[in-house]
Amino acid sequence: MNTVDEAVVSAAERLDTARLTGVPCAPVRELLPPGDLAAAYAVQTVLGERRRAEGRRITGWKIGLTSAAVQTQLGVDRPDFGRLTDDMAVPDGADIPWGAVLQARAEAEVALVLEHDLTHERHTVADVIRATAFALPAVEVVGSRIRDWDITAVDTIADNASSGAYVLGTRPVPLRELELRTAGMVLERQGEPVSTGAGAACLGNPLHAAVWLADTLVRLGHPLRAGDTVLTGALGPMTTVEPGDVLEARIDGLGSVRAAFGRTGREGDTR
Amino acid sequence: MNITALAEALDTAARQGRPLSGGAGGPKDTEEAYAVQEALVARRLARGERLTGFKLGFTSLAKMRQMGVSDLIHGRLTDRMEIPDGGRVDTSGLIHPRVEPEVAFLLGDTLRPGGDPMAAVAAVAPALEVIDSRYHGFRFSLPEVIADNTSAAGYALGTWSAPGDLDNVGVLLELDGRLAETGSTAAILGNPLRALAAAARLAGELEPGTVILAGAATAAVPLPPGTHVRATVAGLGSVSLTTGEAA
Repeated sequence: MNTVDEAVVSAAERLDTARLTGVPCAPVRELLPPGDLAAAYAVQTVLGERRRAEGRRITGWKIGLTSAAVQTQLGVDRPDFGRLTDDMAVPDGADIPWGAVLQARAEAEVALVLEHDLTHERHTVADVIRATAFALPAVEVVGSRIRDWDITAVDTIADNASSGAYVLGTRPVPLRELELRTAGMVLERQGEPVSTGAGAACLGNPLHAAVWLADTLVRLGHPLRAGDTVLTGALGPMTTVEPGDVLEARIDGLGSVRAAFGRTGREGDTR
Repeated sequence: MNITALAEALDTAARQGRPLSGGAGGPKDTEEAYAVQEALVARRLARGERLTGFKLGFTSLAKMRQMGVSDLIHGRLTDRMEIPDGGRVDTSGLIHPRVEPEVAFLLGDTLRPGGDPMAAVAAVAPALEVIDSRYHGFRFSLPEVIADNTSAAGYALGTWSAPGDLDNVGVLLELDGRLAETGSTAAILGNPLRALAAAARLAGELEPGTVILAGAATAAVPLPPGTHVRATVAGLGSVSLTTGEAA
């Protein structure tokens, strides 16, 4: 094992320990070669393999860093992605135990559910539209295993793109009924708008983000497959979350979906 | 504080493009501040301008909290401030202009305080508002910004259409064809109609024909010379203006 491989394993170990103990860790960028996004994705792959070995199923992918402002902030010129697993999916309005997602925050997104594989070397928007069975409104509960969200692009990519949990709405809408670019988004806490935006905030159009993901995953040898859920990226600024909060996201044309947070942790959870 | 003197100072600052320093000697409360605003606008009406409507400010809860206030503010619009849709506007006389995308309402019936805003609305349109604080660096107290006619400088209106559901439609602001800001009409008090109800509460009875700018759907962005600006409100279409080249 060379030194980069060792670094990847120790970064994965550090992130997994944080997840399991509920105690956020120091940034993993200090373990990896500076700015090495490939090494960061290697960490994410190691974590993904561990989840699979534990019996988890990959249900899809999330796209992150899709806003110009966030890319500028982290000094990158492209989005990133993370893996969604079956244990991350939460029913609309069901309580997410407090602490289940470390340092939770939330954002509203468009989810695409695929009915065809996307295996070309390069995809067009038309390919993505044809492969999409329907869209759903979604709340992504992001979180960071890294203390105080002190992250660079390397940290967030290694940490599965800072994913935590996701909630999907339940009324599927075909893309032909949507104008995603100008679709309004509001995320409300107790009826008060805490984040507002529109489809264009996500790389100009959530479908553009999906094209990027399709191409990227083909290059990495594990293309998007029929049945995959794709969380395309935030339509407005992410919002902080407090215990007991119920956040409702509404996306024009797509309907609404709720992420609820418990006041306490899981039964028997000592942390 | 002398109401007439401050109104004159703000009027002169706007006409000469020379900002004032805020702080000492400003209006002591919002009541006095609105008296200054009225005196300021009265000077312009005396020069032949005509009142066309009202605008609202601090319509986002985030902005209200940032300013430490609990209510909206309103300002007055005149015909001199109107920029034709697609038209050219000379901003060389302005101090530090910014632009923001909005929704505008046109009243078809009288709207009394406490009245049903939807029943009074004849039409809605996408709008652009140009703001330009007459205070240095956009730094002002709440009474100061009210006295300064809520930083209003100009507005452009798109095509009027029949009022529909506006509680969460997407709003895009583009500069030279590139996306600058995205938002939703939900940022305006959760629904721009609430801003309209607030206008009647704050400004009193509103006559048919009055234009109301309901408030910004995104943050304001700096408006440089030689720039094409377009606001798109989903379902309502778009409105644009172009600023003159730098001298």
